[in-house]
Amino acid sequence: MEAILEAHNVKKTYYLGSVPVHALRGVSFDVKPGEFLTIYGPSGSGKSTLLHLLGCLDKPDDGRIILDGQDVLKLNSNELAEVRLKKISFVFQFYNLLPRLSAQQNVELPLVIAGIPEKEAEARAVEMLRLVGVEHRAKHRPYELSGGEQQRVAIARALVNKPKIVFADEPTGNLDTKAGQEIITLMKKLNMENGQTFVVITHDPKIAEVADRMIFLRDGLIEDIRTPSTRRNMS
Amino acid sequence: MKTQRIMGMAWESMKQRKLRTSLTTLGVVIGITAIISLASLGEGFRLDVKQQLQSGFELNNLTVIPGSLFAGYSRTGFSDQQLDDVAAIPGVEVATGVMQIGNVTLYNGNKTVTAFVATAVNFTDFVKIFQDRFIFESGNAPENNSDDAIVIGYKVNHSGDNSSAFAEAGDYVTVAMNVPQLPTGFTVQNQTFRVSGTLQRRGTSGITNFDYWVFLPLKTVREMYHINQSDLIFVKVKDQQESEAIADKIENHLGHFKVTVLVPLAFIKQVDNILNIVQIFLLAVAAISLIVAGIGIMNITMVSVMERTREIGILKAIGAKDRTVLGIFLSEALITGIIGGVIGIITGYGLSYTLAYILSSMIHTQQTNTILQTPETHQTLAVTPVFSPEWTAVAFVFAIAVSVIFGLYPARKAAKLDPVQALRYE
Repeated sequence: MEAILEAHNVKKTYYLGSVPVHALRGVSFDVKPGEFLTIYGPSGSGKSTLLHLLGCLDKPDDGRIILDGQDVLKLNSNELAEVRLKKISFVFQFYNLLPRLSAQQNVELPLVIAGIPEKEAEARAVEMLRLVGVEHRAKHRPYELSGGEQQRVAIARALVNKPKIVFADEPTGNLDTKAGQEIITLMKKLNMENGQTFVVITHDPKIAEVADRMIFLRDGLIEDIRTPSTRRNMS
Repeated sequence: MKTQRIMGMAWESMKQRKLRTSLTTLGVVIGITAIISLASLGEGFRLDVKQQLQSGFELNNLTVIPGSLFAGYSRTGFSDQQLDDVAAIPGVEVATGVMQIGNVTLYNGNKTVTAFVATAVNFTDFVKIFQDRFIFESGNAPENNSDDAIVIGYKVNHSGDNSSAFAEAGDYVTVAMNVPQLPTGFTVQNQTFRVSGTLQRRGTSGITNFDYWVFLPLKTVREMYHINQSDLIFVKVKDQQESEAIADKIENHLGHFKVTVLVPLAFIKQVDNILNIVQIFLLAVAAISLIVAGIGIMNITMVSVMERTREIGILKAIGAKDRTVLGIFLSEALITGIIGGVIGIITGYGLSYTLAYILSSMIHTQQTNTILQTPETHQTLAVTPVFSPEWTAVAFVFAIAVSVIFGLYPARKAAKLDPVQALRYE
């Protein structure tokens, strides 16, 4: 199957003052449509940097990233914004909902930015909230919601624009075990039933359990790529 | 993203920071209030002064004085030929020469009065020029220039503690004049005249006050003084707009630096110019206060951008373009400008009326009474604010422009934020 996302020899170096930090030292892999991929690795392994690059929030120093057949390095900041709006979305560890807006307004936000008419945006947001199971909390502000509920709202916001890929950065990292499990179940359900592609950065072995493929990252390099079969063989 | 929604988001965010929004807006309100009230009061004051000057000065009248103030004063006077030449200049309606004979003493039975200004005039022409001032208490102007008749000003006729008038029309009074006696010296000569009329109180017009004047017949006085010259020429022009051009012609004809022509219109224009400059200066001061408000907007938008760095990161991650983020922050500045402008215009109107009331009640009629100033000159200066739609529009546009210009830098800063850095911001 044609890959929806390809990373070719992606490199990124940061400078802390004048000290170079080689966050990524040549990473290559691809993501198939409908895949649930996890990127696993200790802190400092370059996970977040990779996610930012794949998510078009930042540009690599070297290498190529092909998203849906498009070389994202050739895009300017406006075109990258357009890609983020239409093709990809994010779920963050700390939810990153806008505190001033209600749950529903948060979900509507990408549609509003895309210029979707108010009525339609409202209807689609309500539908999404129902899909993630928090429609009864639609009018509440983020601070009135539990962590699990906030993350559900964040997932609803991520899905509302029908993205090709959802990038999740430690989506269960700030949740208790039960809420974390619920979020994993929800994401897997969306993956199985709707064919939604997920790329999830995690420490959480429970997420790894539901993944189609796992990429192990260490010191800015891919150490290992495992599929469920190899995982089963190992265990 | 649609502009309307961007404005909506900006407004929502402003509503959630009520105190901060109010204080920022207050800066603009004060600036606009200052501009509106100074502009309207300044304009009102200018028009009022102009109107008073116009009603004081007879704009159709020119005064021709021999000599030039700084090129040497001359006592030569004007010949009758020169007078006729002036009268013949196109646009001149009437020109008449007068003789100033200093102070004289008048006797009517046992009553005595001194007039400081005795002027010998040809009544027929003189009254044509000053018809607004020849309002009689009794009698009227002599009909013939050869009549031995005089007109007495109000203050001469009602001088001192005398409750009754010195004379009435029809009385015969004796005038004691200092007549030059050749080769040197003066002799006092008495001459009896019929009082043709006495004038009503009138006050100062321009720089002369007929209340203190006594008008004698020129023909008789010339015979007594053996002089065939005029000290001054009064000219009435047909159209006041031509007064400056006609003054030039008179000067050209009589010789530069040999005469001075007083043109009330030119004087009023100068005063008007000065008041204009004062008004512009005041507005510049008011504009500074609006600039200060602009800096306030800049400051608060900077703080706002910093506080909402993470929010900006989220918006960008979701797919907001740079110009959307710019739009959100610029909209806040714009809304501040619009609201501040509207409120400022309203309070500016209010303040103008309040200040006008206070000013008007402070400017009282002065009770000075001199040969140039009489109570009548100091009519109460009722300053009425004058609002022009142009000034209101300019102030409103200025409010918006200042807000947007000062909001631009921080809004651009927000738009250019790196999304990764912004998302990490705590």
